[in-house]
Amino acid sequence: MNTWFIVAQILGVITICFEFASYQIKDKPKYFLATGIGSFFWTLMFVAIGLATDMSTQYSLIVAATYSTVRNLVFHRIFSKNTPQSKEAGLNFLLVMICVAVIAGVFTVMNAPPEVRWLHIIGLIAALSFVIGQYLPGVHYVRITVVIYAVVVMLTQTPLNILYGDFRWNVTGILIELAKIVSVVIFYYRFASEPRRPELNFAKP
Amino acid sequence: MFQIISDGGCDFSTAETQAFNVQVVPFYISFDGNTHLKEGIDITREEYFSRLASDKKLFPKTAQPSPQDYIDAYTPHLKAGRDILSVTISSKLSGSHNSAVLAANMLRDEFPQRRLVVLDSQSASIGQGLILKEIAKMKKAGFSLEKTADLAERVLKTTRVYFTLDSLEYLRRGGRVGPTTAFVGGILGLRPILHLEDGQVSHLDNVRGKKNAMRLISEALTHTLRDDAQNVNICIGHILKEDDAVIFKYDTETSLGITIDNEVAEIGAAIGTHTGPGGLAFAYCKKFESIVRQENRGHIQPAAHSLEAESA
Repeated sequence: MNTWFIVAQILGVITICFEFASYQIKDKPKYFLATGIGSFFWTLMFVAIGLATDMSTQYSLIVAATYSTVRNLVFHRIFSKNTPQSKEAGLNFLLVMICVAVIAGVFTVMNAPPEVRWLHIIGLIAALSFVIGQYLPGVHYVRITVVIYAVVVMLTQTPLNILYGDFRWNVTGILIELAKIVSVVIFYYRFASEPRRPELNFAKP
Repeated sequence: MFQIISDGGCDFSTAETQAFNVQVVPFYISFDGNTHLKEGIDITREEYFSRLASDKKLFPKTAQPSPQDYIDAYTPHLKAGRDILSVTISSKLSGSHNSAVLAANMLRDEFPQRRLVVLDSQSASIGQGLILKEIAKMKKAGFSLEKTADLAERVLKTTRVYFTLDSLEYLRRGGRVGPTTAFVGGILGLRPILHLEDGQVSHLDNVRGKKNAMRLISEALTHTLRDDAQNVNICIGHILKEDDAVIFKYDTETSLGITIDNEVAEIGAAIGTHTGPGGLAFAYCKKFESIVRQENRGHIQPAAHSLEAESA
């Protein structure tokens, strides 16, 4: 087994840890920091896989993962500062990123084989919903949209390229997506068994 | 005896000014920068907000009462031998407090035997109204001017005011949120929640959808007040949303198991200029009786009188 492939799996395990932890966190800035660090290791994992196999097959994934890393860390910054100026700058950044993602997504859909185009369209919608869900207030939107996104990623990206009939068996890649889903399920299990706390906090008189 | 005087920031109705015997010095409203209308006298709150709602390009300004307005309000009481406790809107929101202090300083030489205390409520609207109501109750209970002012300072420290608005548009106009945030927030149906913090209006959070906003606010309010609801004075206010306010009042009474004595209030221009038409507000503060009880139990050390500089 190629050393870079082993490195990729180790980086994947680190990603799993951060991704799993991030969906247990209610505090938004901390969530973005955890998932941002996770995305960073995710990017490195794709680079390692590229070095292990063929870098040209990984470019789009490396770009997508870098995009996630930057987006999450910028969101971390704006939610931490929490000023009208930082929110405005963050939202402008988000809109630019969404535009870029839509353009890239449209090209991906157009270049996909016609029989799987519908799935890529779902992927594009899921990805955009997830990014918007991350920005929306509260803890629920991001968790609902990430599950849909994770399922679509498993179907369309490297881990389980089912529709092409081409199992690449990047086990860690599958586990990363599964970790997000399991983490969300555990979060809701904890959320249901914990005494409910209001989402808004008002000061005591 | 002393007379309670407030600026128009308290958003008292005519019935409340009579019931609590509070004289109100109104704010001025100007739509064009030239004509200044006295709020509640030359223009009603409903007229003001209806104009605001019907003309999206209208961006009215409010102006504080002048020192002369305060002199005109104070002088008859001083001449009649009554001391004055004057409560103003937060000095961080308006120059009304400065006008009142200037007027008081001018009159102290003329009426050296009278006491005149000017109190910065560090609040506004229904929050300022709650403080005034507590002051009126203290006066009715026979407290002296000094004791009332001292207790009122403690009450105002427990006063909290929150607003939820129909849109982010007026926050954008006032520079509290950027144009992109207002635009995207509008598409997503975000409702801002504001609060008065340290005497200033701050953006607390955004909540998606009206129904969701009301549910979350109700949950948070119940969670905050449920252990001490009997010792808290609550007021619900609205800007052209009376039905929503009445329902919210009923829901709050049910969830807290109390009766809210205060009628649903109409928010005035001092806050409404920042928020625009369409919104709900609520405020709460400790009842002065509970503060006195705590003090008697030794939980609160009597505060050094911080109003010395302002009182004669």
